[in-house]
Amino acid sequence: MALDRAERSAKLKKVHSYYDYSLLFLTLFLVCFGLVMIYSTSSYTAQTKNLAPTHFLEKQGIAAILGVVAMIFVSKIDYRIYIKKLPVIKIKLVTLLYIFCSFLQIYVLIFGDVINGKKRWIDLGPLGSFQPSELSKVGTILFVSYIITLAPRQLDKIKGFFRVAVYMAPLLGLIAKENLSTGIVIAGIMFVMCFVASKKKAYFFWVVGILVTAIVGFIIIEPYRIGRIDIWLNVETNENGFQILQGLYAIASGGIFGTGLGESMQKLGFIPESYNDMIFTILCEELGLFGAVAIILLFILLIWRLFIIAISAPDLFGGLISVGVLTHIAIQVILNIAVVTNSIPSTGIPLPFISYGGTSVAILLVEMGIVLSVSNQIKYER
Amino acid sequence: MVRNKTYNRRSILFVVVMIAIVIICLIGRLSYLMIFKSEYYAERAREIHERERPIKAPRGNIYDANGVKIAGNKPVSTISVIHNQITDPERVISELSMALGVSEETVRKRVEKVSSIERIKSNVDKETADFIRNLSLDGVMVDEDYKRYYPYETLASKVIGFTGSDNQGIIGLEVAYDKVLKGTNGTILTLTTARGVEIPNAAEDRIEPIPGNDLYTSIDINIQKYAEQAAKKVMEAKEAKSAKIIVMDPRNGEIYAMVNVPEFDLNNPYDLNYETSENLSDEKKNELLNNMWRNACISDTYEPGSTFKIVTATAALEEKVVKLTDTFSCPGFRIVEDRRIRCHKTTGHGTETFVEGIKNSCNPVFMDIGARVGPKNMYKYYERLGLFRKTGIDVPGEANSIMHKLKDIGAVELATMSFGQSFQISPVQLLTAASAVVNGGTIVTPHFGIEIRNSESNAVKKLEYETRENAISKETSDTMKMLLEAVVSDGSGIRAYLPGFRIGGKTATSEKLPRSSNKYISSFLGFAPADDPQVIAILLIDEPVGIYYGGTIAAPVISELFDNILPYLGIEAKYTEEEMEEYNIGEITVPNFVGKTKKEVNELKKVHEISYIYYLGEGEVVKEQFPLPGEKINKNSDLILYLE
Repeated sequence: MALDRAERSAKLKKVHSYYDYSLLFLTLFLVCFGLVMIYSTSSYTAQTKNLAPTHFLEKQGIAAILGVVAMIFVSKIDYRIYIKKLPVIKIKLVTLLYIFCSFLQIYVLIFGDVINGKKRWIDLGPLGSFQPSELSKVGTILFVSYIITLAPRQLDKIKGFFRVAVYMAPLLGLIAKENLSTGIVIAGIMFVMCFVASKKKAYFFWVVGILVTAIVGFIIIEPYRIGRIDIWLNVETNENGFQILQGLYAIASGGIFGTGLGESMQKLGFIPESYNDMIFTILCEELGLFGAVAIILLFILLIWRLFIIAISAPDLFGGLISVGVLTHIAIQVILNIAVVTNSIPSTGIPLPFISYGGTSVAILLVEMGIVLSVSNQIKYER
Repeated sequence: MVRNKTYNRRSILFVVVMIAIVIICLIGRLSYLMIFKSEYYAERAREIHERERPIKAPRGNIYDANGVKIAGNKPVSTISVIHNQITDPERVISELSMALGVSEETVRKRVEKVSSIERIKSNVDKETADFIRNLSLDGVMVDEDYKRYYPYETLASKVIGFTGSDNQGIIGLEVAYDKVLKGTNGTILTLTTARGVEIPNAAEDRIEPIPGNDLYTSIDINIQKYAEQAAKKVMEAKEAKSAKIIVMDPRNGEIYAMVNVPEFDLNNPYDLNYETSENLSDEKKNELLNNMWRNACISDTYEPGSTFKIVTATAALEEKVVKLTDTFSCPGFRIVEDRRIRCHKTTGHGTETFVEGIKNSCNPVFMDIGARVGPKNMYKYYERLGLFRKTGIDVPGEANSIMHKLKDIGAVELATMSFGQSFQISPVQLLTAASAVVNGGTIVTPHFGIEIRNSESNAVKKLEYETRENAISKETSDTMKMLLEAVVSDGSGIRAYLPGFRIGGKTATSEKLPRSSNKYISSFLGFAPADDPQVIAILLIDEPVGIYYGGTIAAPVISELFDNILPYLGIEAKYTEEEMEEYNIGEITVPNFVGKTKKEVNELKKVHEISYIYYLGEGEVVKEQFPLPGEKINKNSDLILYLE
């Protein structure tokens, strides 16, 4: 009998692989919702450019489908494969990715396609265009996780942080040269990952303190040196504040319940390319405060799932990857909403999963795939 | 493999809490914007989304004294096609080209052009527009609009005036009463995209237009027509540059007619009313148009000449410096200081009384009485008779008189002023002053507008005008009426004499400046009935060719005009005994002439006091006659007999 019970208990304690379906469905929901919003915001612009009303929806839809396929594929691969040496060339996959990203960043600086006056895209012919800085975000998350796991205790001192920074410097520099906003996002991801990995963090607060003091000091002493800060402070009078002001009009016109899906006025050319970084303003206008808070809650839910995976990850590498992805999404959501509500000076950051951008959504989905793969390695007993 | 340690987990928790705090702050910021700032920004957003589109208010009509519409609105339509709504292009092309009289190729080009909207024809009349609308062709738009329309075209053109593209008055009554006629435009508020394209099916705010009020005037189209015909006839006969007539009620200043021939077509006010040889520059054309539109009756001043003797005589009588029986002598000139000022009759009128002086329009007589009145007193009466100020007539562009300064008036100036030279006044000023002289001394404001009614024809406002009484005494007025009647019955104005009516008046022949140009303005100012004036009229013929004496060419025109309009105004002819005699007034019954020989006819003519018989055809025996036997006709009517 006793044996029976022991046997049964051993059987019950059989180890299961976890897979975070909540995260998967949250992600899929956000992507689908994003497609709806892109259709709503882009159909007018598409028509003014003599394109089919579904033109932007179709392009985004293809990227999303590719991204979902890639996400499911990646989620089934053990994430630890990235730090295994490749058989022939004896280089770790993560290092290879880092080198590849750096190469693409150099390539885009020289041969990139210019869209809207910015050189950020690589033309892939019929496949559309590709934004390498998005890939660099994945590269950064994986590479930083890898560097930290090599010697996590070094991060207890500022020297360890500098070591990571030095490793990242070439890629970060290239990205910042191409697009400062993305550079800030990537620096932020790196910073948070180091913060999480270190045991003693006093120096982080010093770094943050000095940075904040420097920025605030600069703003107080000479705010007019930086046009964006002037726009931020005088959005209603500065003529360059047009786009942000139009965004505020859209947000405020929404009121509590919004004008209804598809009923936005501001998307009719008042906010140029409202399906890009400004999409949240149209979301507010059409769905009101309720809709906007609902979407923010969805992001909080997503971050909470990422947090659960991060703390449950079987090892530091998986945990740091999850933290990196969490930070990536959180920074972009915060910066995007802060910019459109004129809470901070403007900078071009897309809203994850919702703003138009094929590379962005596909890469985000791949990131989610990697996190799902981390979740898949969580073993639990039942 | 490095483990995920507890402090890592704590750090992650810290990061997530920080993120949560920041996100909660952002939700707070969003709530602030979307609840407390919502009104503020939404209002500003609406301002940029909305576009006002005006709805034209129908302009009020202008009516004459009989309630006949002289300015109104004609509904016109614009026909356009919308390319992507057309389902049957061939039918659209054939129907439109047929209905509008536009060639098929033109319509086809417009129909096949890929554009949002293409206009086929504008100013399409209502019937055609209704016909096209009833075809209910897909993609064909019929837009309605109003166009100002003047049913009598050239009638009183310079008085009525016309409107511009924005429905605003340009000249004449259309300007003076613009505020009354205009109405208030309505608006449609529509939502538009940033490119200004209206959003279909968006809720519209509509403010209905308020139609303009109607203006009822004293113009009488029948009198205006008579006057225009008379003016045109004399202008053409005398090859004059222009002719002006004003017909007014001297008792209250209501103007029955104001003629400036040549008139122009109010429905095409930008077409000159004469041929021009070469292509005109815009500037030149503008100048010519402005001249054509000019209402010379009120905008132009002239030396009134002898008609102004009315004023001089009035002043002298008021000042009691002359009696009707005073005698004067006219040797054909008067020496004033170093000047020799001539009378129009160079041989002189000899010895004459004041009454005869007026009848003869004798310049020396008026120089004498002018000198007796003196400059200061003379100006007192000019002032009282309104010659220093505008009359206040209700059409724009009135000119004021040009006078000597009182201190500059010497004997020569006073002498010339006494017979209406060396200063300038407008015809309407003279008419107003003369009205006061004959109506018992009341200065009236000449005017057209009588009443304003709203579009439902309810009276909104009776227009009132200033009058100034006792400008001159009643006695003087009565004396002047008698004197001026004598001018017509037995003086220089004899050609204005009209049997059965008592007409007063004064002729004038003004030499235009410079005197050497030998250009004249012949004029006549007349009123009737002379004992109780109900109508006063002035005629000016500008630069007549040939005979230019006002008494000869202007007086008969007024006589003819009065002949037509006095019975129309309800003033019946009353013949005196002598007139019956002299002008063969009375009726006869036409005898039967048929079958009579010429000789027999002549006998009958004597018996029946028939004045004229016209024979038509060759022969001796009357075959037919007109009027028929037994009919009653005026004694001086003609009889026509057909012979065989």
